[in-house]
Formats: sequence, C-alpha cells, structure tokens
Amino acid sequence: MNPETVNKAITRRHLFRDCGVGAGKVALLSMLGERAFGARHHAPKIENVIYLFMAGAPSHLELFDYKPELVKWDGKPTPESLLKGKRFAFMDSFSKETPKLLGTRRKFEQRGKSGMWISELLPHIAGVADDLTMLHSVCSENFNHGPAKLFANTGSFRPGRPAIGSWVTYGIGSESKNLPGFVVLQSGPRGPRGGAALWGSGFLPTSYQGIPFLPAGDPILDLSTPKGVTSDEQRQTLDAIGDLNRSRFSDTGDEEIATRIGQYEMAYRMQSSGPELIDISKESKETMEKYGAQPGKASYANNCLLARRLVERGVRFVQLYHADWDHHEDISKPLDAACRDIDQATAALISDLKQRGLLEKTLVVWSGEFGRTPMGEVREKGKIGRNHHIDSFSLFMAGGGLKPGISFGASDELGFSPTDEKIELHDLHATILHLLGVDHLKLTYRYQGRDFRLTDIKGKVLQKILA
Amino acid sequence: MLSLVYFLIAGYVYAQDAASLETKVLPVLRANCFACHNDKNSTSGLSLESRESLLRGGNRGPVVSTSGSNLLVDALRQTGTLKMPPGRKLPDAQIELLEQWVKAGTPMPASMLKSRRPGADHWAFQPVRRPKVPTATKNPIDAFILDRLAKVKLSLSAEAPRATLLRRVSLDLTGLPPSPKELADFLNDPRPDAYERAVDALLALPHYGERWARVWLDIARYADSDGYTIDAPRDIWHYRDWVINALNNDMPFDRFVIEQMAGDMLPNATRDQLIATGFHRNTPSNFEGGIDFEQYRVEAVADRVQTTGAAFLGLTLGCARCHDHKYDPVTQREFYQIFAFLNNVDEVDREADRRDFNKPFLPVGKPDEMKAYGAWEAQMQALEREMNAYKSSIPGTGQIGDPGVVERQRGIDAHRRRMPKITRTLIMRELPAPRQAYVHLDGDFTRRGANVEAGVPSFLPPLNKKEGRATRLDFAQWLVARNNPLTARVTVNRAWQKFFGKGLVDTENDFGTMGEKPTHPELLDYLAAEFMENGWSQKAMHKQIVMSATYRQDSRLRADAKAVDPENRLLARQTRLRLEAELVRDSALIASGLFAAKLGGPSVYPPLPAGASNVTQVKREWKTSSGPDRYRRGLYTYFQRSAPHPGLILFDAPDGTVTCTRRIRSNSPLQALTLLNDEAYFEFAQALSKRILTAKESSDEARIKEGYLLALNRPPAETEAARLRKLIAAQRDSGRDDQAIWIAVSRVLLNLDEFMTRE
Repeated sequence: MNPETVNKAITRRHLFRDCGVGAGKVALLSMLGERAFGARHHAPKIENVIYLFMAGAPSHLELFDYKPELVKWDGKPTPESLLKGKRFAFMDSFSKETPKLLGTRRKFEQRGKSGMWISELLPHIAGVADDLTMLHSVCSENFNHGPAKLFANTGSFRPGRPAIGSWVTYGIGSESKNLPGFVVLQSGPRGPRGGAALWGSGFLPTSYQGIPFLPAGDPILDLSTPKGVTSDEQRQTLDAIGDLNRSRFSDTGDEEIATRIGQYEMAYRMQSSGPELIDISKESKETMEKYGAQPGKASYANNCLLARRLVERGVRFVQLYHADWDHHEDISKPLDAACRDIDQATAALISDLKQRGLLEKTLVVWSGEFGRTPMGEVREKGKIGRNHHIDSFSLFMAGGGLKPGISFGASDELGFSPTDEKIELHDLHATILHLLGVDHLKLTYRYQGRDFRLTDIKGKVLQKILA
Repeated sequence: MLSLVYFLIAGYVYAQDAASLETKVLPVLRANCFACHNDKNSTSGLSLESRESLLRGGNRGPVVSTSGSNLLVDALRQTGTLKMPPGRKLPDAQIELLEQWVKAGTPMPASMLKSRRPGADHWAFQPVRRPKVPTATKNPIDAFILDRLAKVKLSLSAEAPRATLLRRVSLDLTGLPPSPKELADFLNDPRPDAYERAVDALLALPHYGERWARVWLDIARYADSDGYTIDAPRDIWHYRDWVINALNNDMPFDRFVIEQMAGDMLPNATRDQLIATGFHRNTPSNFEGGIDFEQYRVEAVADRVQTTGAAFLGLTLGCARCHDHKYDPVTQREFYQIFAFLNNVDEVDREADRRDFNKPFLPVGKPDEMKAYGAWEAQMQALEREMNAYKSSIPGTGQIGDPGVVERQRGIDAHRRRMPKITRTLIMRELPAPRQAYVHLDGDFTRRGANVEAGVPSFLPPLNKKEGRATRLDFAQWLVARNNPLTARVTVNRAWQKFFGKGLVDTENDFGTMGEKPTHPELLDYLAAEFMENGWSQKAMHKQIVMSATYRQDSRLRADAKAVDPENRLLARQTRLRLEAELVRDSALIASGLFAAKLGGPSVYPPLPAGASNVTQVKREWKTSSGPDRYRRGLYTYFQRSAPHPGLILFDAPDGTVTCTRRIRSNSPLQALTLLNDEAYFEFAQALSKRILTAKESSDEARIKEGYLLALNRPPAETEAARLRKLIAAQRDSGRDDQAIWIAVSRVLLNLDEFMTRE
C-alpha cells in the first residue's frame, strides 16, 4: 500500500472504530483531508464559507435596521412593557432609572434595485446591496460577549463544543491538500473575547480545530525551517524520516505510521504553500486598491484578500474576526471608525468573488454575536451608546444558493423584538450546513453517551431565503 | 378494641371505594396523561404511572394533596397558567372523577405502587462482586484474558523485547523513557525478578506522581487561568502539586476523592486538605463586565455535577440538567439534588462582590510572606470596618458620591494594590447557611421549579447520612462507599485505558445504558473488588496490571488475531500508542539531556512560537523562562485557556474547560511542523547532537548507535544505520560540518514515529 491509500484506509477505519458517529463517520480524520467520500447528505450549493465575525456586536440600528419610529420617540422613556421580565447586561447600572429610547442619528437610504435599507456608514456595502441576503430579527441566547461568541460559533454558550468550522471540516473535509481546512484570521485593536475556544474542536479530534493564520511572517506557527537549515537539508531530513518510518511500519504493521508519513509530506508542502498564500505582492494594483490592502500590513482589508486567496485554494472554512464593535459609551465616532475599517474591504470581497465566479460556490456571512439596544446607555455625560441586545439584530449573507437582494425577518417599530419570523443562530447554522450539502440533524458525534450536533436540539433551515 | 373494629371497617370501605375508583380512573389517565407522564419520559419530571412517582410530584413540586388546592386538578380545570392536557380539555365528569380520586388519596392497584425507572437493572448499577478466577495463573488478570482468548482459539503474544518493555513501562508509569544507563542495568540484570524490581523502582520515583497527576488533571479540567472572556491568571498550582504528592504517597483513592470533594469539611481540616478542594474550583470563571454573576456561578455548579458524574460514576449526569435523562434512570430532580451538595460554596454571586471574584481562596506562602500578608489583611479588614461604620453614620441614599465614601474607597483600593506577594490558591468553603436548591425548569436557572434537598439518585445505594441535612462530605463518602457500584469500576477501567489504549468498557465516561458493555465483565469486577479491598491503593493496582503477561506482550500486529479481533479488544497483543502531548516534550527533554527534574512549583513558560498568544482579548505577556524552568516537564507549562500552548494543544491536550476522561490521538501535519521546526525542538536536537558528539567513540557507526540509544532506547538495525549513513554522506557532500550533520541526524531521530510512540 502506498501512503496515500493507507492514509485513506486508516482514516476511515479510525473514524468507524473510534468515533462511532453518524454522517461524520465518512469524513476524513486528516485535517487537510482529501475530498470526503460522499459525506454530504444532498447536493451542495456552495463549497466554502467565509464568516466575517464582527466581534463586540455592531449596532443593527445604525447600520441595517432602519427604524423611523424610534427616531420619532428619541429621548422618551422606554415603555415598561418592553422591559418587563427582560434581563440585560450591566443590569445594575442600566436599570437604575428607566432607560430612554435612542433614535439613530444616521441617515438611511434604499439601495440598489432591491431597495434595501442601508445606512450612510457603509457606502461600499450599499454598493453591493443587490448581492446581499439580509436577515433581521435574529436573536441570541446570551447577553455577554464571551459566552455569546461561543454560542454564535459553537451553538452553545458553554465552553467545550466544536466550532462550526470544525463541524464542517469534520463532516465534509476540505479540498485543499496543502493548507488547513479551517483557518482563522483576525484584525482590530484586540483579539476576540474567548480566544481559542471560539475555534476549538471541542470533543472532536483536535485536527479539526481552526488554525489561526498570522498576517505577516510565518502565516502558520513553525512553518519556517529552523535558522541555518537549508531547504535541501530539510528535504533530506524528511526523506530519512520517511524511510525509517516506512521500515518501522513494515516491522510493526501499525497503520498509524503510514498516516504519519503522509502528514510529514503534507507539512512539507505547507512550507511552500503557506508563504505563497500570504504573499499578496503579485495581486494586481487594481485588486489591492479595491480592497484597500497593503502588503505586510495586518488589517481587515488584507485578511479579506487572504480569505479570497484561501477559498481559491480550496480551504473550506475561513473565519475573520474584527474587533471592536462594543459601543457602550459612544455610538458616534468609534462606530464611524469601525465601519471605515470594514466597509470597503467587505464590499470588495463580495464583488471580487463575484467577478471571479467564486461567489456562486462561496457563502459570505457578516455578523456580530448580538445587536444593540434601542435604548441609549449613558456612561459618561455628553456621550451616548447602546447596550447589548439579544432579542433582535441584523446580519447579512451573500453567495451561492441564496436569494440575493432580499431582506428576511423583521423587527418591531423600535427594533426591539421580532414581529415576523424569529431567527435563531441555530437556524443560521442549519442553513450554512444545508448550503454545504449537510443535514444539520444528521451531522452528529457521540460524546458522553449522546449524539451531539452543531444545532443542539434546535435549528431549522431558512427555506425562504434559499434560491 | 372498639377503635380497632372501626378502623378495620373504615379500611374496608376505603378499599371498596378505592377499587372502584381505580377501575374508573386508570382508563382516563391512560388515555390522556400517560403518553407524556410515564416512567420513561416523565415530561416535566412527572410520571403518573405509579403512585410513588405521582406523590413525588414533578419539577414544579407536588401535584396532589388530599386537602385544598392541588396542581393536578387545577391544570385539568385550566384555571391557572398550566393547562392540561395540552390544547384541549377533559369533560367535566372526568375531571370530577379525578378530583374524587385525589381526595381519596390516589389509590392505585398493587402493581402500580412502586415507580419503575427503566435501566435500574443495568449491569453497572449492580454491586461489585468478586468473581472466581477462571484458572490458577500467577496473575489473575491473565487468567481472565486467556479464558476469553481461548474461546476464539487465540493466545497471548510473546513478551515484548526487553528494551521495548522497559521503555513501555517507564513511559506508562513515569511518563519518561529510561536513560541508557537504566536500560543497560535492566538488560544486564539476570535475576528472574528483574522486571518486578524495575517496576517497583519506577513506582517509587517522584515522576510517577507527575505522570499520573497529569491524567487526573485532565479530569479535573485543570488550567492556570480563569477562561471565558478576561481569562486572567489564577493561583491553582498548589492543587496540581497536591495531586502529585498524593499519588507519590499512594494516598488511598477513597481518601483522594474525599479530600478533593470535601477536604474543607473534614474535622480540623489541614492546609493540604483545603488545597485539595481546588479540584472543583478548576471550573472556568466569567468576570466579563455586565454579567449576572449568579448565572456563571450556576454554570460552575452544574459543571461540578457533570464532572463528578464523569470522574467517579461514569454517568452522563449533565444530560439530566434540562430534562430527565433519556437513557439512564437519572431524573432531572435528581440532577438538582446532586447540585444541592455542590451549591453552597462561598463564591461570588453578585456584582457587589466583583472585587473578590476569586473567593474563597487560601493564602499560601513562606512564613515571612504569610506574616506580611496577615498584617495586610488585618489592615484591609480594619479599613472595611471603618467604611461600614462611616456608611451607617450617613443617610442611606447619600452614600453614592458622598465625599467620605469616595475617599475611604480610594484608601481601600490603594491598600488592595499594596497586597504583598503571595499565592491565593482557590479552595471550597461552605456557606454558613446553604443556598436553597431548586429544579431549574428546562435547565434555566431563572425559572424556578420545586425546591429540592441534597440527595443521591434513587437507583443507587442510599446515602449513609448521619443526622440532619446531607452534606458535600456525606456525598464524597458515598462516592467511595464499598457498596457504590460505580466509582471503583470506573477508576480501574480508566487505568486500564491508559495501559492498553482502551478501557475494558470502551465508553470510559458512560457506564449507563447507552455505554458499551465491558469486554471482560468479570475482570472488571475482579479489579474493582481488588482495588477496594487492597485499601484503594492505586500503585498496587497499577503494579498488578503492568506485572501481567497481558501487559508485557509484544505490540506488533498479528495477522491471525486481526482476522478474528480486528480492534484488538481481546488483547492478543499490546498496542502501540502515540505519546500524550506532555510526554512528547518530556521524552525530547530526556533524549537531549536538558531535562530539569524539579518537582512542582508555579507553572513555567517554555518558548512559545511567535504569534501564538496573539489571539485573545486581553493580551498576556509570555515571559519565556530561562534556566532550568525552560526545560521542565510538559505538565508544568502555564496553561492559558484562551491561548493554550500550541505544543500541547496540537498534540491533543484537552482545553481545560470541561472534564476530559480520554485523550484523542490525532495525527496531523501541524504536529510534524512543531517537531521539525519549533524553536524548542530545534534546541532539543542541538542538545542531542552535542551528546552524540561527546560520546566516547567518534566513528559514525558509534555515534548513530549512541543517538538511537539516547532517543529510542535501542541500538539501530543495520538497515536503519545504513539509512542514516546515507543522510550523513549527502550532508558531507554538500559541505556541512560535523555539528550541522549531527543536528540533522538528531532531528531525524526526534521526528521518528517510534520516538513519539509507546510501543
């Protein structure tokens, strides 16, 4: 058996024997995995996902959920009926006196042929309005950042569950042979709250964990050959390791050795594919300008460009984190700045993918962990911000399998609660899996006597937004 | 006499009514209620299928009472918020009938008096009975294994080569490979009990405690930081050291459990017994701004229940947090009864105590440090007393913003910042009055169900409680009572899993009805009985396992065995196992000669690949240790939950947020990159090459042999040596000097599958 065949045999055997799982049985154990063997439950609409995570929770009321009534009621005390029985973050300070409603100061306009409402803060995104599938009235289950981020990423606000990217690569593997299947990129003044738990593989094998890529230097930890070791020498070293491992394999018959031989070869390939990936110097000037990217600079713009390059190379799940959207104190200038950070590059990513014919097989998701209250929050005299709000917020998607240029779900006149369909993040997860050809009810992993799934005991595919 | 007659007559009348009521009521219940409220599903914790469960009530509390209002009738009449059956209403006549039945004391036929939770007759819930050993062999383990193998016409493999055997048992008992000298001594020891002597020596090494502590720390979800959002450092390494010492002293496992679960409640608890209770303080803590502290305290308690279930009982108790367990006879109410044992720790549960968020803790330090801390603390208390006195002297509403309060608070804050250097290890400390536990409807702590008192599941032996309320200490003692059917079985099974790669019960954390049955049920019970009757000695149990012929077998694949037993569950051979994350590092430290043997102490900071800590909200500095601390065992590496050291996590170390009873062994290219290119491993290779170059003989041949002995504990086969000579020749051709050449050879050795494998 050559290592490649052995590899397949062993990964299958491994999963059948050790994992005892449902659909995931046929997934690859290998992180880089080859194409999974018909692991999908139905024909996929998309192959890749780029999840733009806006860490800190952007205000839907300033960006996408236009509420003229709220503007009208600006400064009025919040009706008690709205607050009754509700729990909020910063309960002690927030509830000292009845909070006042806060109408947005931003101008909204209907954009594109679809007439989607988008605020003046996001002129570039407004330019691709007809490619967006906007969801309003999305809700979360936890009003604190760390747990809510866990919830948005793993379907549970408690630590210990696999991230969505882990589920996906566990379920259907990845096309890329030279790069990890689940890659994490980040930008902004600080990392996302929760850190590694947000892309951890939970109870799934750690080969499915998200791999953070660094924007400069080695994109992957330990990717460079040690100082003083030439690439010829690295190759010779690897050849010796391979030969000696092969002889051990024939002596012991342990197929794990065959797998290891294959993984060392992949590691070697990654040593060239990694630097090639982050080298954006060969991108055209036009492209660089479109994104606002600059070689060697750690920025959201560069990460968006890298995300495109990653999906081009077959990486299944790319997640970008951009901090920080947590505008308690002040919803004016700090929000302007956050929007400037992401507006141009997000729009560029969507149109670039489209231009290259990649948007049909890629899903772009843009979302925070929750939204922000229709009530203002005053922490400092003369400034006003918004608190965490989980009952209703907005997010958008763009890409294959979706109806473009539509808005789905609606909140009440104040942007407080859903009036129409209440969309849970479990539904978003179910829909993402569905587009990838995976039934969220069937992608399971047995752990502690229970078949766990990404959507826990909930989740429904949002049929009405599917093309 | 007269009253007796009267009583008999009344009883007779009652029986008459009861019989007729029964016959009329049962069809109504059956048609309308049993579909949801049965012994198996018991929706909302309520089963009406037996009188016992009916009287017990559901998650909202009792549903019947013979006097006055009761929930069952109210729900049927649909007068309140709870309306039954869902979506419709029974005819009035039927409701009246049921009401009469309730007033009569809900009589039911004899066959329906007792509740029958399915699963109570499951094998794992039956008492441990010492079985008869099938045949006389030196080690009873082998008798059970051989007996089972004989049924498929197989037998054990031959004993592994002696060098392999010593490497195996050294790695399994101490987590470290033998040194060339230890190996030579063993190979040259002609005494028939040479192996046993080696085993005894290994069990006596302090490294035994380190190796097995790491196994326990997985279960304890040990980490050096708080987790969640802020993920600040916490002081808990004293607990880690307590585990190491307890194992090295072979503390009986029952005491090991009691001290960790409730050491603080033992009479005259010692400092060490307090430190031991850090076990259940390893739960992640959320101190993000704007949280409801009670919510995360509840999370921690629920985690303790779940961890206790997995660690000792092999039960998936967490499944019963929101509803009755779907497969095992654990009810939701019973989950909260166990919850009640663990719910009374004096932890932060409100915003006002935010500053104190690590409480309760125990200050630990050298005598002078303790003295300084004591003085500081006394001063702090004085300041707080003064503040309180001042506050009560001014009108209540004026306190916020009062200049006196502000000034005093400033003083307190300043004093807090002057806290002398000391470790404050997290411990358990019981509140003077326990919190009232209650069923959390659907697992939501804001939705109060019926109050519950501390207790254990009814399908397991009862708690041996003295007077009054059952405490956490009673619970701890119950876990390790001789009649507890689970703890000993679960513990020996987990040890077996370490020595063979799989437990006798493959689902090591699920001994419930969904778990796998043991491959060798009698062996499991033999080991469990032996464990308990041998004074719960872990060292004795480990020794018995590693002394068996079953353990000592060759691990090479056997075609004949593979055909009948592809997964090697019957153990016609040993199994090759990739080393655990920490042990990969430890083995490289030993091979390189850099190993620093220091036991215990604060966690350390070996080199971290650039950029690895760049992933969290609060960037924490990683001050790479210098000197010996750079070369400590993997278990001492500082573990930050939101950014764990990649050298650990890439090799499947658990993330320390939830209990982990089994390590997965993945095989990934990132592991290869770590061992090939990481700064730490390159340093190990350099050090190994120096050892090779300073060996007595300087021929390539001798040096290759030296390298093999140092890294793999065996001399190379001729083909292997030839392959390395080929590498050396190629390097010489390209003009590399000796230093570079032997670094290359060392890198090869430290990257071989065999190097990171226990064969």
